[in-house]
Amino acid sequence: MAIIKRSALITLIFAASAKAFAPNTVAPRTTFLRMADDASEFDFDVAIVGCGVGGHGAALHSRAQDLKTAVFSGNDVGGTCVNRGCVPSKALLAASGRVREMQDTAHLSDLGIEIDTSAVKYSREGIAAHAKNLANRVKGNLEASLVGLGVDVIEGRGVLTGNPHEVKDEATGKVYTAKDIILAPGSIPFVPPGVTVDEKTVYTSDGALELNSVPEWVAIIGSGYIGLEFSDVYTALGSEVTFIEAMDNIMPTFDKEIAKLAERLLIRDRPIDYRTGVFASEVTPGIPGEKPVTIKMIDAKTKEHVETLEVDAAMVATGRVPNTKDMGLEEMGIETNRGFVAVNEKMQVLTKAEDGEVVPNLWCIGDANGKMMLAHAASAQGISAIENIAGREHEVDHMAIPAACFTHPEIAMVGPTEEQAIEMAEKEGWTLGKSQGNFRANSKALAEGEGNGIAKVLFNKDTGKVVAVHIIGIHAADLIQECSNAVAAGTTVQELSMMVHTHPTLCEVLDEAFKGAVGMSAH
Amino acid sequence: MKFLSTALCAALAVSTVQGFVTPVSNNVGVASTSISNNAFSVASSIKEQRMMSQRELTVLAAEATKITMPALSSTMKEGRVVSWLKSEGDEVEAGEAIMVVESDKADMDVEAFEDGFIAKILVGEGESAPVGDTVALLVAEEADIASAAAAGDVAEAAPAAAEEPASGESDTILDNATTVTVDGATEIFMPALSSTMIEGKIVSWLKDVGDEISAGEAIMVVESDKADMDVEAFEDGYLAAIYQEEGSTVEVGAPVGIIVPEEEDIAKISAQPDAGVVSSSTSSTAISNNDSNSNTEAPAAAADVPDCDFSQVDMPALSSTMKEGKVVSWLKAEGDAISAGEAIMVVESDKADMDVEAFEDGFLAAIITEEGESSAVGAPVALIAAEESDIPALQAYAASLSGAPAPVAAAAPAAPAPAAAAAAAPKAAAPKVAVNTGGRIVASPLAKKNAEALGIDLSTVVGTGPDGRITAADVENAASGAGPKKAASAAPAKPTWTPAAGVIAATPMARAAAKKAKLDLATIQGTGEFGRVTLDDVKIATGEKKPERKKAAKGGAESVELPSGLVPFTGMQRAVSNNMEATLSTPVFRVSREVEMDAFNALYQSVKPKGVTVSALLAKAVALAIEKYPIINSSYTPEGTVFNEDINIAMAVAIDGGLITPTLKYANERNIMELGENWKELVQKAKEGRLAPDEYNSGTFTISNLGMFGVSQFDAILPSGMGGILAIGGTSEQIVPCDKAVLGMKKVAKMTVTLTCDHRQIYGADAALFLKEFSAIMGNPQQLLL
Repeated sequence: MAIIKRSALITLIFAASAKAFAPNTVAPRTTFLRMADDASEFDFDVAIVGCGVGGHGAALHSRAQDLKTAVFSGNDVGGTCVNRGCVPSKALLAASGRVREMQDTAHLSDLGIEIDTSAVKYSREGIAAHAKNLANRVKGNLEASLVGLGVDVIEGRGVLTGNPHEVKDEATGKVYTAKDIILAPGSIPFVPPGVTVDEKTVYTSDGALELNSVPEWVAIIGSGYIGLEFSDVYTALGSEVTFIEAMDNIMPTFDKEIAKLAERLLIRDRPIDYRTGVFASEVTPGIPGEKPVTIKMIDAKTKEHVETLEVDAAMVATGRVPNTKDMGLEEMGIETNRGFVAVNEKMQVLTKAEDGEVVPNLWCIGDANGKMMLAHAASAQGISAIENIAGREHEVDHMAIPAACFTHPEIAMVGPTEEQAIEMAEKEGWTLGKSQGNFRANSKALAEGEGNGIAKVLFNKDTGKVVAVHIIGIHAADLIQECSNAVAAGTTVQELSMMVHTHPTLCEVLDEAFKGAVGMSAH
Repeated sequence: MKFLSTALCAALAVSTVQGFVTPVSNNVGVASTSISNNAFSVASSIKEQRMMSQRELTVLAAEATKITMPALSSTMKEGRVVSWLKSEGDEVEAGEAIMVVESDKADMDVEAFEDGFIAKILVGEGESAPVGDTVALLVAEEADIASAAAAGDVAEAAPAAAEEPASGESDTILDNATTVTVDGATEIFMPALSSTMIEGKIVSWLKDVGDEISAGEAIMVVESDKADMDVEAFEDGYLAAIYQEEGSTVEVGAPVGIIVPEEEDIAKISAQPDAGVVSSSTSSTAISNNDSNSNTEAPAAAADVPDCDFSQVDMPALSSTMKEGKVVSWLKAEGDAISAGEAIMVVESDKADMDVEAFEDGFLAAIITEEGESSAVGAPVALIAAEESDIPALQAYAASLSGAPAPVAAAAPAAPAPAAAAAAAPKAAAPKVAVNTGGRIVASPLAKKNAEALGIDLSTVVGTGPDGRITAADVENAASGAGPKKAASAAPAKPTWTPAAGVIAATPMARAAAKKAKLDLATIQGTGEFGRVTLDDVKIATGEKKPERKKAAKGGAESVELPSGLVPFTGMQRAVSNNMEATLSTPVFRVSREVEMDAFNALYQSVKPKGVTVSALLAKAVALAIEKYPIINSSYTPEGTVFNEDINIAMAVAIDGGLITPTLKYANERNIMELGENWKELVQKAKEGRLAPDEYNSGTFTISNLGMFGVSQFDAILPSGMGGILAIGGTSEQIVPCDKAVLGMKKVAKMTVTLTCDHRQIYGADAALFLKEFSAIMGNPQQLLL
């Protein structure tokens, strides 16, 4: 079977390459692969603006429905995730994580391994190239799959014209028509006022991923996922890090208990310190070797100057903003909220957030709608939008979408934080249950010498359904899926506690928590 | 002077001195609560207890809170302190994590329950302690650190010093906070079930008085701020009494019941329902501070405590290392009115002179420690009266204090005695003094005086003393208009970059390390980027690390980083050294000759574009010379000369970390292009360490060429097993006589070669002839291309 499939795919690629010119010569459309009606009044059934993970996911699903599909890539196939986000950062984390492991003599000697840490060397260029190569490779795969499945990839950036069903290729000025248009323009790093970014000494994640230097001291503004992951990279490679967090607590978006543990595991024992409750009000780039980066900090409440730092580099990781400027939204009568496009649960674009009306045949997925700024959420939303376009009503259950932070150890979660869950339970009138599994009590984790961490299961005591799971510990990101599936399927802790977990594996940490939830002991 | 023990996070059983002392034995019957009548008393009901034991007196000298090993899980018996997040002397806030404890389930942060300072760490990192044991002492005031620390020292040493007169049982107070063993009885305390739990409600008792209990069995249900939890007994026994009935809410750490080991003990306990734990010794000696008459055994306090409103000024701990302080000057005289916040004396510590302020309004009634005298930290140095009329009474009391044998004068560095005196004195709320730190202008007395005399506003003067304190010199500078003189040690010089004002040029870890080592960052020379102090710099300053040569500052001359110490041989290097040693038994001789190179050079220039290298040409030339004199290509055996049919020219190549001799086989038979190709390949392989043994050990004659380095001449060591090695020097131009030339001389390029041979089978003439032939070939190099 596999062989047959593969040869089919090859055929597809050949066929598609022949058609790559089709969009420019609109008239004679081949129907070799496309089921779209030639008599259709539109060039395409679906036009997707943006080719990140969200647009890509939507395009693939669109083709699976045999819809004639175009993607306006804006010369950025793969988008943020593949080119400037999740993917290259994993390469940096993988390489730097290895460096950290090989320098952790205490851990290694516990395992009976002796290593001369002075022999552990890395090449910054090599690691940077690994990230670059990985991004290129994944991007190439993405592009190949689009072409292979018969999606028309239009290189220009797509913008709305103000008329329904129309998308203009900004590069050529050519206007295409499509029955449905999905906006998936993604997001760009947010740079707070007062911060000057030169992408060399003061940079966002875009610049950081190039790993142009391993500074002696780098300040990271913002202690969310991105900042945390980069602190992991930098400290492993020998930098010292100072976090600058505007909120009163470090890692404010995380579950409190997890954040506390994370502080111990990811911050305290590393060359990292932090300031909380302060804004980096003025960040001036430096010149390597001549002048440091200057960061003036003010109290978040009183706005009084508290401290000035002179560091080698500053990374701005203060979140992301929608990339929705100048794409014709205003012309369509759409009001954005700080750039975010309002959508309903079906991903249909609304004219405004409060009491907005549905704009027919216009959809928005991914970071631009702000529902959940994660690559896989965008893809899920894209698939959902196509389902709705195909006439099958669908809504994404965002509560069941997992998220992960790829530090060492990893943090992963699905559902609300415990603080939010307590509020939900109170408001909705159910009883919150909590159970915990410990990595210290897990044979596999102990074998790895990685006993730090917990898995916390929050569940509805009345129904037994899993509400949220938060994990910090080795391979947490790979452990969360079971929990995400449970949340999505409404599986109860009673059912989960009776499901057999492989021994000895890390997933027994969850087994312990599920069993604990129903008063059983795992060990 | 409270001394209460607080379990952190989740101690299942904690003891407090409160809990311990409050149920006083009926025999003495002086309730400690009586001191609440004293206007100076602190809120806590237990202070100023006079214990029999010197040790306890010492402990009481400070307002110390015991930090005990918490029970982090219901099955946890002991915990290991993974790390201390705070050091001795550090300030902590309630809710702040102070240590990481490893239990059987997880590593957890343990938080402080109250604000204060870590006075003493009793269980070091990596050490384990049973649940409930004291792991550190916390004091409310920085000034108490030293005395509490001293107490902690004694406590640590306690088990060894079993010299207690009648209070043998009292060891348990300090050594094991979990169980206050009095006649074998164990009190049950309200456990801290969460880090934020302050008090707990007893939801239900699962056992009745008289019931038998085994360790690990749940005995009651306690409701905390987070959840209801079963509380288990730690030991076997019988529930003898329940102090707190169901439904009552009790502070964490307060006793709620008592367990006795034997069934017959139940009766004894229940016979004295109010007495709590009955003790024949220790707790009965706890008495009220005001009732010193009943305290006939207390060693220190000899005089009656005046019945009036007063407070005591103790020698403050101005630094964590300060054991005693010298009163440099009294800024107030006896009888002077004092207002809170006003500096009353200047104290010289081991680090600096500092102003000490009064905490409350009153009158300086009596000075116990005169100017120039020293006092142990925590010892009383003066008394402050609330009412002027009480001064005489307090002066009399002060005289008795300073005259008593135990205190001040006899202050030993370890300070148990003065601390005892402090305990004996009717001190009210802790020390009534504070080190001046902020808000107010800090200036030395002389500076103030001078400023006043000169009419200078101190708020306009920049202080350069410790902690920005204004010195007399600063005032002088201000008067003369000169800027403050920077201390020579301050601000590490860095020509290229000067940090902006207020910027601490130190990395995060350097700051942390300097703080821990109590080093002033300004005194450390920074070697990091922009002259920043790095962790290594701090380590060098503390002696933890030897200084090493760092990269020179940007813009400065690059300093040379020289290697030092033993670098073990690589396999190749070892092979070279072994081979060289093996040559020592070979009798060799050397013959040198100059070779004219003009023809060769011209030829080389013509074939260079084709990729022919000098090495290949030399190998070929040597091979051709060997064809004429094959003895040079021979090797020695005791039986005779072994002639080698093949002419395999090995050429020494220096590669990273070693030396190897790739070999051009059959060099006489192969054309120059082929040899050149082969050589390139061999060198590449050598660099990559891919040479096959046959490619580096099949040589029959060796060339070593250092000519490219400009070496004029040298001789090479003959490798074992070979007959000869040719050392090739550099080519230089020389002027030689020439009849045919216009000026009678011409310029000639010459190269010196030196042949080293094994004299056992090769003789001087052989070598000379070979070199002559070689020279001839070099002079007529066309044959190399054939």
